[in-house]
Amino acid sequence: MRYPYYPGCTLYTKAKNLDRCARQSAQILGFELQELETWNCCGAIYSTVTDDLAAQVGPIRNLVQARKMGNSLVTLCAACYNVLLRSHNFLFAPGNEKTRKRLLEFLEEPYDENMKVLHYLEVLKNDIGWDKIKVKVKKNLKGLKVAPYYGCLLLRPAEELKFDDPDNPKVMDELMATLGAEPIDFPFKGECCGGYILVNAPDIALKCSKTILDSIIAAGAECVITSCPLCQYNIDNQQKLIREKSPGFKKIPVFYFTQLLGLALGLEGEILALDNHYVDPKPLLIQKGLING
Amino acid sequence: MLEKNSNKEIISLIEELSGQKISDCFQCGSCTAGCPVAFAMEPVPSQAIRMLQLGMVQEVLNSEGIWLCAACNVCGTRCPRGVDYAKISDALRALVLRSKKNRVEPDKISKDLIYDAPQQAFIAGFRKFVG
Repeated sequence: MRYPYYPGCTLYTKAKNLDRCARQSAQILGFELQELETWNCCGAIYSTVTDDLAAQVGPIRNLVQARKMGNSLVTLCAACYNVLLRSHNFLFAPGNEKTRKRLLEFLEEPYDENMKVLHYLEVLKNDIGWDKIKVKVKKNLKGLKVAPYYGCLLLRPAEELKFDDPDNPKVMDELMATLGAEPIDFPFKGECCGGYILVNAPDIALKCSKTILDSIIAAGAECVITSCPLCQYNIDNQQKLIREKSPGFKKIPVFYFTQLLGLALGLEGEILALDNHYVDPKPLLIQKGLING
Repeated sequence: MLEKNSNKEIISLIEELSGQKISDCFQCGSCTAGCPVAFAMEPVPSQAIRMLQLGMVQEVLNSEGIWLCAACNVCGTRCPRGVDYAKISDALRALVLRSKKNRVEPDKISKDLIYDAPQQAFIAGFRKFVG
């Protein structure tokens, strides 16, 4: 199986580990992510302003490229997923016929409704299936207590994305259980990490991150997984500032879900990019016997 | 431009840009209860909508609260009346950015943050804070 794939900007820079582990894991699981020949930034956040057509051009250009390759597009970054899916919905929303025509004429490209924007997790769950993934597990993550942190962009607006239950999401919990790990439930699974508020109100973003981390640690997790580079930054890197402000705060490693998937499927060494974290996750993985010390 | 328009005109513009009907809100407060930044927001989402219902348009446009919305969409997801405050605050910000100055000046952002944080943070931030 081959899927057109949109990595997005951050997966080529700060979030290489999210991307590479996903591509390699896909091969082990029997599908291929075929990167779009040309793509551009999705805009990183969806603009809901109804006349803000300039913000729609970037994501739609990517959709148009994907449509040339098939009728689905796989994404990994939660933000890209959210923006691309909502831009597709915008084009085909009732009453937007004229706007659609205008945008596609501007792009000078054909496009139709026959396109499904998917997140990699949906491919794993619906197209591959947990049972098939279970069989491919080489290194069972048994005993690893993982808090699946979903954040906003995978879940909401729920009626548009139809990804999972916005108040009680399960897909990453199910994936972790499939890999042998113990998913840890906690109340702030879908709470906002502060997101781009980091840029104009960093102290407030930091409080959002700390609320989530406190909830994760209180629930007894040993590590966290995310699917968004900005969540990753706010939950992992910001622990540095949290520790400066709250000296008793105990650090907790934060992975991309694809790193733990890759680890369980037998990926090793540089591909896991375990050095690319603020909180070093290696001591925990060594302690659990999952990597060599 | 906004100073010259009547409050009624600006409210209908907000409704057009957000696709939301301000009068639909019946002030249950679900949006504010779920908002992750309500602790720092002034006015909080339900208050901002109430102020718009009462015609206090300039007060809302000049408030600090509209710049704290992280577009997480909890408010809209939980609203029993189908009002999406995230869309209203997006429209409010757009109106300010289109008529006044930038909320964030890109060259004033700390170099450490630019080096450290993923570009996603800045692209999204510029979308919401730079006109």
